Amino acid sequence: MGTPVLDDERGDANDPRPRTVRRDGQTLLAGWRCTSCSLPRAARAWRCPDCGGELADAEFGPAGTVWSSTVVHLDISGIAAPYALAYVDLDDGPRFLAHIAGATAPVRVGTRVTVTGTDDRGDVHVQPAPSEVPA
Amino acid sequence: MIASILGVGTSRFGKQQDLHPSDFVWQAVGEALADAGDPQIDAVFLGTVFGAPGVAQRALHTLGITGVPILTIENACASGTSAFHEGVAAVQHGRYERVLAVGLEKMTDQFRGPIVPENTDTEGCAGLALPALYAMAASRYLAVHDVTERDLAGVAVKNHAHGALNPRSSSRGTPTVDEVLESRMIADPLTLLQCCPLSDGAAAAVIGPPDVEHERAVRVRASVMRSGGLWDHRSDDAWGYQVIADTAADAYATAGVGPDDLDVVECHDAFTIGEIVTTEALGLARRGEGAQLIRTGATRLGGRLPVNPSGGLLSRGHPLGATGLAQIAEITWQLTGRAGDRQIDGARLGLIETMGGGVSGIDGNACVVVVLER
Repeated sequence: MGTPVLDDERGDANDPRPRTVRRDGQTLLAGWRCTSCSLPRAARAWRCPDCGGELADAEFGPAGTVWSSTVVHLDISGIAAPYALAYVDLDDGPRFLAHIAGATAPVRVGTRVTVTGTDDRGDVHVQPAPSEVPA
Repeated sequence: MIASILGVGTSRFGKQQDLHPSDFVWQAVGEALADAGDPQIDAVFLGTVFGAPGVAQRALHTLGITGVPILTIENACASGTSAFHEGVAAVQHGRYERVLAVGLEKMTDQFRGPIVPENTDTEGCAGLALPALYAMAASRYLAVHDVTERDLAGVAVKNHAHGALNPRSSSRGTPTVDEVLESRMIADPLTLLQCCPLSDGAAAAVIGPPDVEHERAVRVRASVMRSGGLWDHRSDDAWGYQVIADTAADAYATAGVGPDDLDVVECHDAFTIGEIVTTEALGLARRGEGAQLIRTGATRLGGRLPVNPSGGLLSRGHPLGATGLAQIAEITWQLTGRAGDRQIDGARLGLIETMGGGVSGIDGNACVVVVLER
């Protein structure tokens, strides 16, 4: 067995959320990819949950597509409501839960988005790609 | 047949801050034991999510249930049905003769509103409250399937109408589609009246061998429990669909019946979209066509196959651990002609489905499907 990813900089044991990294002027999602079956992951794991293979560091995005989206109107998470969430399928990458900065209505399913970074609270944000924003 | 239900009981449901957790257990178990003819109990499985340490023994010893194995089970919203499932398995395999299954939750001791997302979970930590998880399924359905916001509201209208006939429900009246849609937005597109209310309560069932003689015995034809499979970028279905479909397929195969044979269903309508996704996964409608059941009235009382005649979680409320056994009690009453104003004439075969979530990465912590026959 390979070395499990438990103390990697991109996996704080007490904060299970994904992280972003800056690479060549882009913001990417820092995750893992299975060295055996290529399954991409945004969340920490002991081994590949599908095939048991070893995981290697990988970076995904910045572009992806909204699979579904909602705006939460509840003040229960320590996040000021309303806040917008989306499941985003990153191109050739994992599906992950993203915040959509500034959105007050759900973002249309199928909208192309770009990873923009991690906020002060530690949540990863996306925003609609420029081509999706009405002129 | 793998086991029998000899008796059921429940507390009232709804916010009951003034009662102790043991009060709910006493009401539910007291009724279930009396219904079963006060048998000797050989073991107890109690399902609860937020119950205090020792919650089962604290309530049960004062009912005279001492000196027997007592186990407490946590399986999210399916905790009560999981307790029932384990009780059935224990009887089926001859480990015990008479098992008491109990579900309990006093939500008002824990929360003033929605359940606070779990911080150790990847998506819970990022603010994915349970209404938001279901809202994500609703968002997807509205975009890719023949489902409208009025269809979603129709689920709440139907189940509140049913709940108004259930004296144990915490029902909040019988809203119209417009009133459901005009209630406060919780997580787009789910409004307040599309979310199950915070509720306290308990429910219980006495389980015995399959061939036991008892005038009101209901037979367990199948009980299946699964945890969810991986839910990721390869998943085209809404969260929960696949685990419910897989669990139901096992249950139908074990029972030797299919969806067309059913007379009544209680399923997990924690949020309106949940009933649409679940009725599809149970095979009551084709994938993506669950809203048709609402539009045609097929699943309301008087329809072809009533779903959630008790009022469901939307009207009864959702005391997490109690819910599954409240569903078991409703189907048992339906099959024995004791469901009062919501009785389905001649109901002989019923199905219960409960589904619990909160762990990201899989499409459910647990799903239990039970098939009961009179």
